[in-house]
Amino acid sequence: MGRFIVRRVISLIGVLIAITILVFALFQFLPHPELQLAGRFASPATLAHIRHQWGFDRPIYIRYVDTMKLIFTGKVISYDQQLNVDHELVQRLPATISLAVGAGIIWLSTGILFGLISAWRAGRWSDRALTVLSMIGVSMPVFFLGASLSYYIGDKLQFLPASDYVSIGSNPWEWLKHMIMPWFALSVLFIGVYSRVLRSTILDTINDDYVRTARAKGLSERQVMIRHVLRNSMIPIVSLFGLDFASVIGGGAILTESVFNLQGAGQFAATSVQQLDIPPVMVITIFGASAVVIIGALVDVVYAMLDPRIRL
Amino acid sequence: MRKQSRAVLGAVLALIAVVVLAACGGSSSSSNSSSNTSSSGSTSTGTSSTPAPSGPATVVEGTFPQSLDPSIDFTTQGGEVHWLTHIGAYSFAHANGTAGTAIIPAGATALPTTSNGGKTYSFTVRTGMKYSDGTPVKACDLKFGVERALKLGWSAASFLTSTIVGAAEYSTGKAKDVAGITCDDSSGKVSFNLKSAYGAFVDVLAIPGVSFLPASTPMKPEPTNPPAGLGPYMIKNVVANQSFSLVRNPNYVPIPGISAGKVDINVKVESNTTTEASDVLNNQADVFDWGDTIPPALVSQIQGSGRFHAIQTNKTFYWFLNTQEKPFNSVLARQAVQIAVDRVALARLGSGQLVPGCYLLPPQMVGHPTQPCPPTGFNPAAAPDLAKAKQMVQQSGMAGQSVTVWAENRQPRLQWCENFANTLNQIGFKATLKTIADADYFSTIEVLKNHPQAGFADWQQDFPNPVDFYQNLVDAHAIAPVGNSNYEEANDPHIQSELAALYPVPGSQLNSVASRWQALDYYVTQKAYLVPFGYLSSPEFVSNRVDQSSLIFSPLEGPDFSSITLK
Amino acid sequence: MTTSATGTELEAGAWTPDHAPGEELPPGIGPYRLALRRLRRNYVALAFGALFLVIVILCILAPVYSHIAHMGPNDENVDQATNAVGLPIGPTWKLSHFFLGADSVGRDVAVRLLYGGRNSLIVGALATLITIVLATVLGILAGYFRGPIDGLISRAFELIWAFPIYLLGIVLGLVLGLSGLDLGIVKIGGNSLLIPALIIGVITTPYVGKPIRGQVLGLREREFIDAARQQGLSHVQIMFSEILPNVTSTIIVFIPLVLANAILTEAGLSYLGAGVRPPNPSWGNMIGDGIHLLPAAVHTMLVPGIMLTLCVLGINVFGDGVRDALDPRAKIRIEH
Repeated sequence: MGRFIVRRVISLIGVLIAITILVFALFQFLPHPELQLAGRFASPATLAHIRHQWGFDRPIYIRYVDTMKLIFTGKVISYDQQLNVDHELVQRLPATISLAVGAGIIWLSTGILFGLISAWRAGRWSDRALTVLSMIGVSMPVFFLGASLSYYIGDKLQFLPASDYVSIGSNPWEWLKHMIMPWFALSVLFIGVYSRVLRSTILDTINDDYVRTARAKGLSERQVMIRHVLRNSMIPIVSLFGLDFASVIGGGAILTESVFNLQGAGQFAATSVQQLDIPPVMVITIFGASAVVIIGALVDVVYAMLDPRIRL
Repeated sequence: MRKQSRAVLGAVLALIAVVVLAACGGSSSSSNSSSNTSSSGSTSTGTSSTPAPSGPATVVEGTFPQSLDPSIDFTTQGGEVHWLTHIGAYSFAHANGTAGTAIIPAGATALPTTSNGGKTYSFTVRTGMKYSDGTPVKACDLKFGVERALKLGWSAASFLTSTIVGAAEYSTGKAKDVAGITCDDSSGKVSFNLKSAYGAFVDVLAIPGVSFLPASTPMKPEPTNPPAGLGPYMIKNVVANQSFSLVRNPNYVPIPGISAGKVDINVKVESNTTTEASDVLNNQADVFDWGDTIPPALVSQIQGSGRFHAIQTNKTFYWFLNTQEKPFNSVLARQAVQIAVDRVALARLGSGQLVPGCYLLPPQMVGHPTQPCPPTGFNPAAAPDLAKAKQMVQQSGMAGQSVTVWAENRQPRLQWCENFANTLNQIGFKATLKTIADADYFSTIEVLKNHPQAGFADWQQDFPNPVDFYQNLVDAHAIAPVGNSNYEEANDPHIQSELAALYPVPGSQLNSVASRWQALDYYVTQKAYLVPFGYLSSPEFVSNRVDQSSLIFSPLEGPDFSSITLK
Repeated sequence: MTTSATGTELEAGAWTPDHAPGEELPPGIGPYRLALRRLRRNYVALAFGALFLVIVILCILAPVYSHIAHMGPNDENVDQATNAVGLPIGPTWKLSHFFLGADSVGRDVAVRLLYGGRNSLIVGALATLITIVLATVLGILAGYFRGPIDGLISRAFELIWAFPIYLLGIVLGLVLGLSGLDLGIVKIGGNSLLIPALIIGVITTPYVGKPIRGQVLGLREREFIDAARQQGLSHVQIMFSEILPNVTSTIIVFIPLVLANAILTEAGLSYLGAGVRPPNPSWGNMIGDGIHLLPAAVHTMLVPGIMLTLCVLGINVFGDGVRDALDPRAKIRIEH
């Protein structure tokens, strides 16, 4: 077990380093950051000066080391507003975290509920209805769903605010009203996926040998369901949840954030890319990817604890 | 089984950790919440039924200024702020219409005297002025302000580096100071020496980025804590990319023609134009960003509110055609495009806020020609004669040539470009669109070796002088390997000789050469070096709290916040 | 949406044709024939499969409709189809004249819907092809050879997996859209549909590659592989003739999932301006165009949005049926 964890940590560090290299390399293809920095009609002399000032004229590996140093010491500055990126990101995290936590609670609980009902009533009409619902959920582009909600419920009915984020500290009630539609829009897809996965796992587990053994031991159906079937079926759900949650926190919910104009980390990254403002994109990508990789590794370790066969 | 509950426990712990983090994030953002609360406070006063007439007023902007540091910014949203906070020797008059294009002495006592064949500009700095932090203003602070703009890479620095002796050397670090600026703190005298006579130099000195700054200001960008200025307002409570406030400057020493202001202003960014417009429509905000266009979905409602005026602000939109490449090296092919462009359709696609036209110099600019559009005398506000254009393309022998139209990827510019490509296809070219991200568009087409065949471009006056349009967009000297702004790569001896004669004419004598500018502008359209298609008007759109009759709307800097009176 | 969200769904892999408990296995019928027989009895899946097929056929017939409507996909009629402030007309319900209304530049929404569907489906199909081929090859290589090759491929999967899909897509879209892709032999222009297809194809590879690798890891320990090795078959032969047939059903199950996911991803990227390039339509950029026109001209958002949802729904329900048919116990193993 110990050796497995050590190996996993080493490979984790390798992947994290590879992520930083890949992110850095990707942006080397974007043309001429000095043109963005120089303003209109800059002379070649000015451009050369800016290249020197920002270190664009230095060898690529030195630039990589310098950039990473800046990123990990929290001193990286954006091109566009020349602001400290970490500071900017911290300002935007509350919106992203509000979205992730609220939506996470909704999709996890509803997904489990729907999955249970579906498995319990497998083949009956309630299972079918939930199947159709979850299928529609996974088939709808989130920005279309989001824009439709925002238009019909926000603009037309004036039932909830159509967009924007209000900080929880300044007005909790407004915060809640602003978050309901984004939570719902983001949850729909996950609910569809989770309920389907849970349904399948439960149906699968019910026929497993140890469940039969448990039944044979004379445990009540209720005990079998809760202690054996449900517990085991929850493992994949929990691990999926870890990854999905990490990716939303890491700015993965770009479309939801954009369509509701939440100004979170994902939207920050998207607008920065569009402005070719590379430092924020690098920071967010590295931050988000690291979150996913680290949680992925944790899930692996937990799996290995549960199931020794995986230690390959 | 214990292990499994540990897995669940782990997930729960992760969730808790994240919630705690969220709380931390929340508290850290509330540490600079002074602006948050003040802006939300203003919104609530905006919605309440009995608004306090003392303000503050809320201005909504589509985008945050490039920087609130005047030594960097050169944007519509930044200019209207720095016009009130950071003042230089000269400024644009606070007035409506053509009167608003006048230049007034601000930090200087009078308009400058020129000598040395129009190459030296001298003036005396007003005495007794103070910065918002209370420090007295010195004459040499203007030189410092120019140097800081050069050092920090002010976006319009080319106006300085191309004119002032030694400015280019200073900006690239080859000189310790700008040799062409002399100043004397005791007498208050300042003079600028230029490389060659340049009639629009007073206009350059009036741009908000060229301002007095305390010599103690750090030589680094200060976007969240802008340096002190001597204008009637000062910038406070900056939350980058979100909001800031303009607070009346208690140390303002009144300058004739620049009002001390009546209310404080909160500026907040609303990137969704529809929300931005409906906020003003519903009186939740007071002034709409004049750099944005009213979204088509709300135009009729907003026009019906009686609080909207379209103001002409000298903003020309045009297609450039590369004269060095097939098919537009043929004059006939270019002229065919000139008459084929559907300016009525383009006007509609610009929410009806575009006034069709065919000349580069906009209607309110000295030198705007009055004749029907050359070469055929067509009416830009009528449907184009496509049959004639098609025939001209046939004649030019360029029919069937492929054309790549470079397009900006935002509305309504993308729609305009799509329409333009469609027109080119209709008259016999094979046009395809090349869309470029907004942020990258101009820097890409300004790289000479990309040789864009045709594409979108626009120009908004920096100062009220046709020189601004011509030196940047048409002059062959503007052709450069990078930062090329002569997209059509035109190099016409007639244009060059005319420009050489027109550049030195001082701004004060501009009217004496109006007909010469008209003839030149007519010539450019006739040769179809450029295909201008219209002039965008700017929205003056306010809430019902604002007294619109007393609001000043400058054609250069937009709504004058210092003139805002609340009912 | 988020990376692993779709990933979770795709992860559910590694099926082998199996028989339901209690179901009589007719002698002489192969597992695939059996699956087909089961699928034929699943009317819901068939109906949704037919829905998808109808949409595909309509999109293929786009030029025919274009002829009926007298408008090409990029033809504009600003004069007749927009009002004085540039707002487009709504549906006229006349097949020959702006049946589903016009868009922000006076183009025929119905015509663009079909052409846009073509583009969306082409991008989706190409991306699926790329994903399936890459994932199969890499998954089999990693699972079969293990050791350093597996380490490298698995880490590469992990790397791509870790990136937010849309962020990676926008960055690649920006870079490639500007300069095109110069592969030496072939040069792909920035406007080509291949670019979004390639981006989506590559970024979804791990979601299929990982489970295939997992399945192959199990297979290579089985007796029949040992037997093949004893017979002196080369690695390539073993991978082709022994391993590939055993992962085929997994691949089949994945195809509809990947296709549905690719179409959705394309829509998201186009909405963010990094997918199919204007003026060429795709469902995604049509929805994006419509969202910009809100709160007026709702049809410009609803029409492509509903079409896209129906199309993806068709693929998903049919795909679900295929999965049930191949594995009636709906067995799901999560592979990591």
